[in-house]
Amino acid sequence: MKILLQQLVIGISIGSIYALIASGYALVYSLLDFSNWAHGEVCMLGAYCCFMAVKVAQFPFWLSCVLGVGGAVAVSLFNERFTYRRIRSNGSPNMFLMIAAMGLSTTYQNLATVIWGGKFKQMPKVFSKSSLNVGGVFIGTTDLLCLALTVIVLVILLLIINKTRFGLHVRAVACAGRTAGILGVRIDRVIALVFMLAGALAGLAGILYGMKYNVYPTMGNVGLKAFIASVIGGLGSVPGAIVGAVLLGLIETVASGYISSGLRDLISFSLLILILLVRPAGLMGVDVQDKA
Amino acid sequence: MKKRFVLLLAALCLLLTFGSALALDSDNPVLLGYVGALSGDTALWGQAGLNGMLLTAKQINEAGGILGREVKVIGLDGKGVSDDSVAAYKKLVEEYGVCAVVGTNFSSCNIPIASVADELKVPVIATAASNELVTVDADGNLHPYSFRLCFIDSYMGYLAGSYAYTELGLRKAALITDITDSYSTSVGHYMVETFTGLGGELVASEEAQNGDNDFRAQLTKISAAQPDVLFVPWNYENVALIAQQSREVGIECILFGADGWDTTELIELSNGALEGSYYVSRPGFNLPEAAAYFDVYAVEYPNASKETECLYGNDGVQWIKTAIEAAGTDDPAAIRDQLEATESFDGLLGHMSIDPANHNPSRDAAIFRVDAEEVSYVGIYEP
Repeated sequence: MKILLQQLVIGISIGSIYALIASGYALVYSLLDFSNWAHGEVCMLGAYCCFMAVKVAQFPFWLSCVLGVGGAVAVSLFNERFTYRRIRSNGSPNMFLMIAAMGLSTTYQNLATVIWGGKFKQMPKVFSKSSLNVGGVFIGTTDLLCLALTVIVLVILLLIINKTRFGLHVRAVACAGRTAGILGVRIDRVIALVFMLAGALAGLAGILYGMKYNVYPTMGNVGLKAFIASVIGGLGSVPGAIVGAVLLGLIETVASGYISSGLRDLISFSLLILILLVRPAGLMGVDVQDKA
Repeated sequence: MKKRFVLLLAALCLLLTFGSALALDSDNPVLLGYVGALSGDTALWGQAGLNGMLLTAKQINEAGGILGREVKVIGLDGKGVSDDSVAAYKKLVEEYGVCAVVGTNFSSCNIPIASVADELKVPVIATAASNELVTVDADGNLHPYSFRLCFIDSYMGYLAGSYAYTELGLRKAALITDITDSYSTSVGHYMVETFTGLGGELVASEEAQNGDNDFRAQLTKISAAQPDVLFVPWNYENVALIAQQSREVGIECILFGADGWDTTELIELSNGALEGSYYVSRPGFNLPEAAAYFDVYAVEYPNASKETECLYGNDGVQWIKTAIEAAGTDDPAAIRDQLEATESFDGLLGHMSIDPANHNPSRDAAIFRVDAEEVSYVGIYEP
C-alpha cells in the first residue's frame, strides 16, 4: 500500500509539470487550431534564462525565476510576432504554422547546444532537505513547491479565462474568430497576449522542471508528453489539459513501477491512439470537428 | 687540416640532425581519424578524446613525426549514436583516406562500426567501449579490424560485484539498468552474476531507459527491498539524477557504478547524493605520467575539464604510432597486424597487452570512492 501511495505521489508530481506545459498548448490550440511544437523549447529557454541569471549574473533566485519567466514570454511573443502572424497574414493553411513550429523547435534546440553546450546544468537547491517522510511515504520538497505553484497558477489561469474581459475575448476568438473581429475584438492583440500567457506558463514549467531534473538543450522534449496530455484531456480545453496531464503522470508512474519502464511510452501512446479513435474530443474537449 | 675536417664533420652532423627534424614530410601525412560525440549530452568525452589526439599528434610532429611524416588528425562527430558514428567512420575511410581510426567511447556505436571496419579493412580502436561484441560477433568470431583500449564489461562487472561482496561486506544488492544501452545491461548483468555467485542476494532489479528523468517509480520498489548496495551502471548525467532521487525516496545504501561515472562533472551534478559510493574504472590521472600530460593539456585547452577520455586519445595515437613504426608503413592491414601482435604497450592509462584471440587488452583496474567534494582513488584492485 505504501508503495502504491508513493507511486501516486510521484505521478501527481510529474503530472503537475505536464499540466503547466499542456495548458500552454491548449491555449494556443484553442485560438489557432494548430499544435505549437516549439512550446517545449520555450520551456527550455525559460529555464536557461533563469540558470544564467542565478549562476552567471548571481542574481537572487526569486529574481532569476522572474527573469526566466520573462525570457520565455519574450521568446513566445517573438515566435508569434515574427513567424506565426506572418504565416497567418499570408493566408497560408494551418499546416504551415505547425511546420514553422517544428522548425523553431529544432532551431532553438541547436542554438542552446551551441551557446551552452550539451552538458547538464544544475539549478541551485532551494531546500536543504530533499524530501519529507509522511508515514513512510516520501514527498519531495521540490515536488511540493511545484505542486503548490502549479495549483495556484492554474487557478489564476482559469479565473483569467472565465472571469475577465480578456478571458471573454479569448473565448470569443476561440469560438468564432472572424465574428469576434467584426464585433470589435482585436484578434492579433488577443493572440499575442495568449502567446505571452502560454510563454509564462512554459517558463515557469521549464524552471520547475530544471529544478527537478537539471537544465539541458533537449529538455523541451517533455513538450511531447504534455501534448499527449492535452489530447487526452481534449485539445483546446485548459481544464482538460490539466486533467489529462495528471492522468498521464499517474499512468506513466504506475506503468513504470508495476509493469515495465520499457512499456511506459507504449502505454502512453496507445492511450493517445485509443482516445483519438474512441473519443476524439478527449475527456473534456469541445468542437473537435473544428480543431483538426 | 685535421681540425678543419673535424669541424666540418661536426657541422655536417648538426645539419643532418636538425635537417631531419625540419624536413617533416607534410605532403604525404599519416592521416588518423577520430569518431566521438562532439555535440550533445556526452560531448565533453568526445571533445576530450579529440583534444587528446590533437595534442599528442602535435607532440609527435615536433619530435619528427611518424617515419618522418607529419601526423594529421581528422575528427568527425558521431553524436554518441550508432548511425552517425558509422557514417563518420565510413567518411573518414572513404573520403579522407585515414589509415586508422580511434573512437568511439560507446559500445552501442562500436558494435555496428566493427562490421563496417571488417569490410573497409581499416582498423578502429574503441576507447571506453567495453561490451564484448565490440571486437567479436555474437558467435564469438573475431572482428579482425576492431580493437579497444579499455577492459571489457564482464571484467568491470566482475570487479564491482567482487569488491562490493568481499571488500565492503555487502550481502543484499539491487540493480537498475538502462534497457536501451548495451553497456548498462551488460555491466549490470556481470555485477549481479558475480555478486550472487559469491553468495550475495539480488533483492530488486529494475529497468529504465535513456531519456528518462524520473526514476522514482522504480526506485520506490528498490527502496522497499532494502538493499545494502544499488548497482547503477549508467552514464554520469543519469547517475546524478538516480542518486538524488534514491535519497529522496529513502534509499540510504551505497551506490556502485562503473566507468560511466568517471568524470569531474559527477560531484557537482550529484549534489552530495553519491557520498560514500564507489565505482570501478582505469587508474587515469592517478598515474604520474598522466598527471604530467594533463598539465600540458590544460595549457593547450584551458577551458577543458579533466576527462580520462583525453588519455584514451593519447594512447590511441601512440599505439598506432608504435604499430606503424614496427610495420614500417601506414598500410591499414599492416597496422592491424601490429596492433594484434601487441605484447606490451605502455600508455598514459598504464601497461597493456592484447589477446590476439579476441583483441581485448589486459590492463589494471582501479576502485574510486565518491566523497563530498571529490572523488578519491582507493587503489588498484586485483581480486
